[in-house]
Amino acid sequence: MKRNLILVLSGLLVSPVIAEEVDESMDAAAAGHVDIYNTAGTIEVSGWSRNSVQVTGELGDDVEELILERDGDHILVKVKVPRKHGRDIDADIVVQVPQDSSIEVSGVSADIEVAGVNGDQALQTVSGDVEASGISGDLEAASVSGDVEVQGTGANAETSAATVSGDVFVSGLSGNLEAESVSGDVIVEDGAFDRIYFETVNGDLRFAAELRDGGKLAAESVNGDVDIVFDGEVSAGFDLETFNGDIDNCFGPKPQRTSRYAPGLELSFTVGDGDGRVVIETLNGDISICDE
Amino acid sequence: MNEIERDDQLIAAAGGLSTEISPERDLWPEIAEVIAKPARSRWMPMLAQAAAVVLLIGASSGVTYLAVKEEPQLVPVVVQDLRFERAAFGAEHTLGSVYRSAQGDYQSQLDRQLERLSPEVRAEIERNLTLIRDSIAEINAALKENPDNALLQDLLVNSYREQHALMRRVGSLTQRVMARKDI
Repeated sequence: MKRNLILVLSGLLVSPVIAEEVDESMDAAAAGHVDIYNTAGTIEVSGWSRNSVQVTGELGDDVEELILERDGDHILVKVKVPRKHGRDIDADIVVQVPQDSSIEVSGVSADIEVAGVNGDQALQTVSGDVEASGISGDLEAASVSGDVEVQGTGANAETSAATVSGDVFVSGLSGNLEAESVSGDVIVEDGAFDRIYFETVNGDLRFAAELRDGGKLAAESVNGDVDIVFDGEVSAGFDLETFNGDIDNCFGPKPQRTSRYAPGLELSFTVGDGDGRVVIETLNGDISICDE
Repeated sequence: MNEIERDDQLIAAAGGLSTEISPERDLWPEIAEVIAKPARSRWMPMLAQAAAVVLLIGASSGVTYLAVKEEPQLVPVVVQDLRFERAAFGAEHTLGSVYRSAQGDYQSQLDRQLERLSPEVRAEIERNLTLIRDSIAEINAALKENPDNALLQDLLVNSYREQHALMRRVGSLTQRVMARKDI
């Protein structure tokens, strides 16, 4: 009897936690604002043509509840967890929102994935990846420990993509972009830009896109390489300088030593009418600049 | 007259010029006075530039610090606190008091937020801060050898700024996301 009781108790202790499934929806404004909070797990958001918000997914055993509430044009979706976190506060939620909504998505140790939302977006997590596709509005995407990947539709927008420990990958965006990482790479592909500023401390920078007429590009790395390949014709004044690296330039001029006594190289020249501006600086990284 | 003849004529005319011209007055006392003045150090422009850079960092940090500080402060306090300091780059570099004050507060905020993060994330953030500090040390070492290198000065300023930005970003993002009572 005693042995059976022990077996039953130990069976209860090791039995898998059954996650609670949720499926809730609510009417929403066609172009309202949706706030989404989930402490841990995954957050998937997608835009659809209906004027409603639907939340499906699974909540961990220690999650208190899923809250879905509306205040005018503002919808709040939050996974509520106890102030003193239990062991299983993870929630994997899928949120569908009207496609013209603006959204703010926040997580702590959560991955964020957004697709097909046309309004402005603010996506932030501490430990997790941020992935956004079909971007056509302004976007601010930030992680501390994770990658940030953004795919645009070519529409003009203000975009900021930043992480501390991770890579930033941006493609198909237009307009103005700020992208930075400390120890990861920053890669910008396709798209057409008026202003772009990107930097990293220990990673590489790569830009393979169009710099529009009068456009400005500034890139800075301490220890990484900078590789620029302009898509189409470029018209700009160039100022390239590295303290300890090389400069490779297919536009013609050769770099000059900055000093007889220091290893630095610098190169300034103009291509076309020179109405744009390109400034690249590195400490130890190489600089490569070319057009297609 | 050909070119050679013209040259000969010029040479002859030049030979007729006086080889010694006496000044209208005795200039030596004024020259001696100028010589007696202490020479202007060639380091002065560089130190002034360095001081300006540090002032810029201090001012920038101060403004940013005030902008993000939770409790509003009176702006004039910062202006009064700004002052030029000896700011040689390299091993003897010193930073403005506003910068140091802002850095101390950012560090305190960061420390508070780090306590709430997992050990893995904490380690990642510390590793990245170390990367920036190492970069600053490397740039400073290069500046010691090349104190007037504008690129190095630029990179140094931006590295200090990046250090603050990282601390601020981690602190504010973590605080913004984790300190909400509704999650």
